[in-house]
Amino acid sequence: MGILRLAHVDVRTPDLDLSAAYYSEVMGLQQVLRTDDTAYFKCWDEEDHHSLRMRYHPRTGLDSFTFRVEAEDDLHDFEKRVEAYGCPTTRVSRGEAVGQGESLRFEVPSGQVMELVWDLEKTGGLLGKHNPAPVPPPDLPGIAPPRIDHLLVNAEEVAEAATFFTEVLGLRITEQVLDGNGHQLGVWLAGRTNSPHDIAIVNGPNGALHHWAYWLDDWDQIRKAADTLAYNGVQIDQGPTRHGVTRGNTIYFFDPLGIRNEVFTGGYWVDPDSEIITWTEHEFGKGLFYYENVVSQRFLRMHT
Amino acid sequence: MPDRILRLQHVEVRVPDLELCAAYYTEVLGLIETARDVRDGAERVFLKCWDEQEHHSVVLRQAPTYGLDHMSFKVAEAADLDHFTTKLETAGVAVKRYAARELGPGWGEAIRFDAPSGHLVELVHGMERVGNMLPMTNPPPRPQDLVGIAPPRLDHVFVMAEDVEAFTAFFTGLLEFRLTEQILANDGHQLATFLERSHTPHDVAVITGPNGGLHHFAFWMDDWNGIREAADTLAYHGVQIDVAPTRHGVTRGYTTYFFDPVGNRNELFTGGYWVDPDFEPITWTEEEMGRAIFYYHREVNERFFTVHS
Repeated sequence: MGILRLAHVDVRTPDLDLSAAYYSEVMGLQQVLRTDDTAYFKCWDEEDHHSLRMRYHPRTGLDSFTFRVEAEDDLHDFEKRVEAYGCPTTRVSRGEAVGQGESLRFEVPSGQVMELVWDLEKTGGLLGKHNPAPVPPPDLPGIAPPRIDHLLVNAEEVAEAATFFTEVLGLRITEQVLDGNGHQLGVWLAGRTNSPHDIAIVNGPNGALHHWAYWLDDWDQIRKAADTLAYNGVQIDQGPTRHGVTRGNTIYFFDPLGIRNEVFTGGYWVDPDSEIITWTEHEFGKGLFYYENVVSQRFLRMHT
Repeated sequence: MPDRILRLQHVEVRVPDLELCAAYYTEVLGLIETARDVRDGAERVFLKCWDEQEHHSVVLRQAPTYGLDHMSFKVAEAADLDHFTTKLETAGVAVKRYAARELGPGWGEAIRFDAPSGHLVELVHGMERVGNMLPMTNPPPRPQDLVGIAPPRLDHVFVMAEDVEAFTAFFTGLLEFRLTEQILANDGHQLATFLERSHTPHDVAVITGPNGGLHHFAFWMDDWNGIREAADTLAYHGVQIDVAPTRHGVTRGYTTYFFDPVGNRNELFTGGYWVDPDFEPITWTEEEMGRAIFYYHREVNERFFTVHS
């Protein structure tokens, strides 16, 4: 039983056509389905129906984020655990959501709606399963990351949110930032991916989304992505640079409606018994951006 | 199914010249020597990669011949050793159990048994943790005093078996590995298979060849640029490069192959993809085998198939 990995992020946009153009042409995702008010996207190597759902709404925001669980009967176990913690849960039946079967939804202590699902509709990656090329065709537009990687949400009480994710959902803390009083300002949590993070939580307003990130294969791809972003006039927030926390290489930037995106690579292997890495408040600048060593106020205060 | 086997923990390899190999693995490959001992009359050198927390990931054993002594996989819980003991013994496989430190310095509690191909396989829990070379508070992303190639960690092992299907059935059925890719002969039988527990394309792989054979073991590199720099280091030191930096079709990984001073094949590997537990295996056909193994050149040198240790 366990949380396997991030499956999809569901967000709201006041300009669906503009957002759809950006995610398909600049980010280079594949639009798999478009209705009057909703668009679904996936990365080229993802086998499931979608990893991003965008729906029209007058205000930008996070609808929910969805993690895949390890086994089909995990939903039942998580339902009991989440309810026992005091968070009401809702079952969403097969047929109610596009691209997936039954799921479980609930509000986490920091106010975001989280969804757990096992049954994802498998539509296949771009390469297939029979003598597949190792890369997609060279004419894919935009950055074209192979897959979604993680997301970062805000919480007024980081420690309370971290307790929920570790004790109820069974994620493991890989790194944490502590203030001078020993309070958690940020935590990075891993499911079954053995990577530095599948979700991270940093101090900020409840319910907020800080960013979600796509995986790229290496630093050279990060550099090329920066070229693509600059060419298209996308506002870059930070990078290309290196994180202290996670050791990852990164660029942060904003989609046309102000939602922060990241492209990420690197990190390290995490065993279930790995010790937690701790960052102190006075080294937080290096923890965030290892080369610049600054605590960017825009980075900490701007969210969706 | 819970994560019982997590990943490859270590390989122990036989080397006819222990000091020459210890020098190569520490100065060219850039591993760190953590201990030495003498076991069954043979001297051994214990090595780890810089980012590994545990006592060793490569053990060199003085021996008249080269090759693989055994491969060891890390399990999540001590109870997993009981789980696999029961499962293996029920299937008629003899299992030996060893207490922590019984098999050597830093060694965890372990069980050992033979795969159908004659390879000695170990499962281990509770290795001594000696730490990576970074502090656990405010760590820099990389130590500054590394020598040689200095990969962060061991990645996978690739062995040879006369009956690839029996080896694969043993690893998937009894040890709960998942098949990610296979190369099928025109008559439909498996020529090679790639098996994982770590949600990566492979933790162990097997190709048709003599039972007990080691084709290579591989270290992880962070990216393609690291593979290119490693090739510079290998060439500078006069190491025999078997396959210069290139790309695999199988696993999609970037790679370079080379030989240690006594002829055990090493690999540096990066890339690959994420594997869900219900991943549908990828199949390569015999006529595409060249592209499967070396995607750019579409052919495999005879040495790659015939030379092993």
